[in-house]
Amino acid sequence: MVFSSILFLFRFLPVAFVAYYLTPAKLKNLTLLIVSLAFYSWGEVRYFPIMVSIILVNYFAGLLIEKWQEKQALRRAVLTVSVLFSVGFLAFFKYSNFLILNVNALAGTAIPYLEVTKNLPLGISFYTFQIMTYTIDVYLRKIDAEHNLINFGTFVVLFPQLIAGPIVKYTDIHKELHERTISLTDIQDGIALFILGLGSKVLLANSVGALWTQIEQIGFRQISTPLAWLGILAFTLQIYFDFSGYSLMAIGMGRAMGFHFPQNFNYPYVARSITEFWRRWHMTLSGWFREYLYFPLGGSRVGTARQYWNLFIVWAATGLWHGASWNFVLWGLYFFVLISCERLFLKRFLDKHRLFSHLYLILAVVLGWVLFAITDMNQMGLFLSRLFCYQGGDDWMFFLRNYAVILLLGAVMSTPWLRYFSDKHQKLARLLGVPFLLVVFLLSVAYLVDSTYNPFLYFRF
Amino acid sequence: MQAFKKYSLLLLFSVLLLATSVADMFVNSRQFSEMENRYLTQRPQFSLSQLFRNEYTPKYEAYINDQFVARDSWITLKSVSESALGKIENNGIVYGSNHHMFEDYRSTDERRLEQNINFINAYFEKYLGQSNFTAAIIPSSYAILDSLVPQGLQNVDQNKRIQEINSRVPSGVTVWDLFPAMKGAVQKADAEGIQDPVYYRTDHHWTTFGAYNAYQSFAQARGLKAVDWDSLGPLEHQVPDFYGSYYSKCKLYSAVPDTITYFDIPFQSIVIDGEEKPGLYDSSLWDKRDKHAAFLWGNNGVTVIKSQNNLNAQKGKTTRILLIKDSYGNSFAPFLTYSYDEVYVVDLRSMTEKMSDFMAAHSFDDVLLMYSFMNFASDTNISLLTE
Repeated sequence: MVFSSILFLFRFLPVAFVAYYLTPAKLKNLTLLIVSLAFYSWGEVRYFPIMVSIILVNYFAGLLIEKWQEKQALRRAVLTVSVLFSVGFLAFFKYSNFLILNVNALAGTAIPYLEVTKNLPLGISFYTFQIMTYTIDVYLRKIDAEHNLINFGTFVVLFPQLIAGPIVKYTDIHKELHERTISLTDIQDGIALFILGLGSKVLLANSVGALWTQIEQIGFRQISTPLAWLGILAFTLQIYFDFSGYSLMAIGMGRAMGFHFPQNFNYPYVARSITEFWRRWHMTLSGWFREYLYFPLGGSRVGTARQYWNLFIVWAATGLWHGASWNFVLWGLYFFVLISCERLFLKRFLDKHRLFSHLYLILAVVLGWVLFAITDMNQMGLFLSRLFCYQGGDDWMFFLRNYAVILLLGAVMSTPWLRYFSDKHQKLARLLGVPFLLVVFLLSVAYLVDSTYNPFLYFRF
Repeated sequence: MQAFKKYSLLLLFSVLLLATSVADMFVNSRQFSEMENRYLTQRPQFSLSQLFRNEYTPKYEAYINDQFVARDSWITLKSVSESALGKIENNGIVYGSNHHMFEDYRSTDERRLEQNINFINAYFEKYLGQSNFTAAIIPSSYAILDSLVPQGLQNVDQNKRIQEINSRVPSGVTVWDLFPAMKGAVQKADAEGIQDPVYYRTDHHWTTFGAYNAYQSFAQARGLKAVDWDSLGPLEHQVPDFYGSYYSKCKLYSAVPDTITYFDIPFQSIVIDGEEKPGLYDSSLWDKRDKHAAFLWGNNGVTVIKSQNNLNAQKGKTTRILLIKDSYGNSFAPFLTYSYDEVYVVDLRSMTEKMSDFMAAHSFDDVLLMYSFMNFASDTNISLLTE
């Protein structure tokens, strides 16, 4: 079940929340666990046992690591086993066919692809990363082990962030897991965030996304250069509003239940360098890689050469996390190169030139999305040549006419303009805030009822 | 009051969400949507095996969507919003000038097209010599009314593709090019101030006026007399408020409906799949949504129309034409009674008889195979010609 569906909004949401609010405080986690498991099973009942097994392995690993306080070797062994087990499922489902493809290509063999891994278990990239933060932090003695299986299970399967993030670390919410207050203000703020997220996904992402999908259907060979630029700009807006929309909906629902999930997007397209962009884009993922991969590798406290090697590893992994295909690796390494350049010399220049830095960031990110959006290398080459070798035609006129307003709206909404506006005109904002949100909600429902295009982009994640 | 003001979003949203959810649970399922002209999804049968194959839940979600409370109003709300955003396309339908709608049709199924060309050619070659054969492909409205199509909409070049198809028809078969006929009809209508458009605004079919012009051009090509448009005047009827197939797809709230023109053409008998009918049209459909299906009672297997209208009648001789067609032929066929004594109409999609048996049982002076381009490039029943 995805959040942006009539079934979720008018069946699951009211039932889950009414049940949650009516349950006494002590049993609220149990209710959450049950509705979350129902939520997950609805979309992916076959892979349900995999999630349960990962939960159990990490739960017992936590207990054992705590029990063997003084026995470092044993603790390390338990951690290794649990991490291998968790990552193992992810690697098996996500990367085995990719591995076979490459072995076949290199060695000329004909190993058949695995049928079972054709579909990735829903949300596995998110919950695997989430659960590992727990076991690793128990091992590092940052936190105590969780003894209550219900609380632990709730942390993992919490339905708001289960399938598309944000990646919530155990330390982010372990206090709220045990004790939280739910105020009316929190519920109301949660509703507002949820509606903004729903509108981002349904009204903005789906609307501009249709443009990119149409261009893919036409075929890159057929399109003119202006249309190619229009298309990749549309994808740039789609991926942002889609992803940040899901995150906002998750954060909003969490807030309405008394949880404070970490922020995941902070207007990334207004950044002035790629380094800054990644502090504003999918913040919980970059945070995870920093904390659980970059720092353990030595981070920046090692020699210069080793530092860049660490960066290389982190960005290759970030790319691979987004999908098992070379274009994603390329996409990750593209950022490695840009960030390295910024570290070496570019950052100082960017800091001094405001306009240039904005243009540089947008261009760099948009070209990055070319690498991200097109999995086939030949197609990618073709598209890049359409972008940079001028190809005439009037095909763009139709699309510009059809999408001009929504593209403009998307561009404005991807900046903090609305926030500045409401901060500046507080009285007006208070007056218009509620009607605005209700209109966004009603329009979102209308677009869902008559949806001609409503993709779920994270099946690869 | 203070609390209401402070928590107005919370209150309004909760009431809205709960009331809509409850209302939706109690609303009765509809079988058919008049607005969208399609059957709506009904509650799916639950089965564990479907659930485990991830097949049950998508069906259930489609059911919830199709049966959502006040579905038509939500659709209209979306349409209003899309218009406010200046969109000129929805669900594959493009909005042109003068309230004309067109298809977004950028590519065709090349394999199917190739197969169908081979099927009709095999049919022609099999029966060549038994009769005069004519082949015609009808262009879509966007290919004829190109000045009304939004600039930059790069649809399939039907003129070019139809020439390609025509060039491959075996020799001995008359190729009847409808492109100049339809272009000519548009010019004629403009020049003579005829109100009837050649194609519907909200539907993919040609209008009765468009069909008449095609008929006239065909009769001319066959060297036959055709009935005069003006002389049909006394038989004319008009049905307003026709919302066609384009509307059903895009559901544009501000769509301007079409008017259907039909003529009460005199006839002796009309027999459809062995059953005698009281008229050329299913008049019960004129006040329903799917008005175009009234012509010739929709797409039926074999229709036989006999009349005394033939302007070319010769004593002691009965002339016969076979029209093999898609739904464009339904408003076209009645005019043929003015040029032939007996008009046989075949729609392969509903035909139960084998074509070879049918061809052996009858003899025809003329055989006209006439398909619209988009149907010709997608229909899966054209292979039945060769059976």
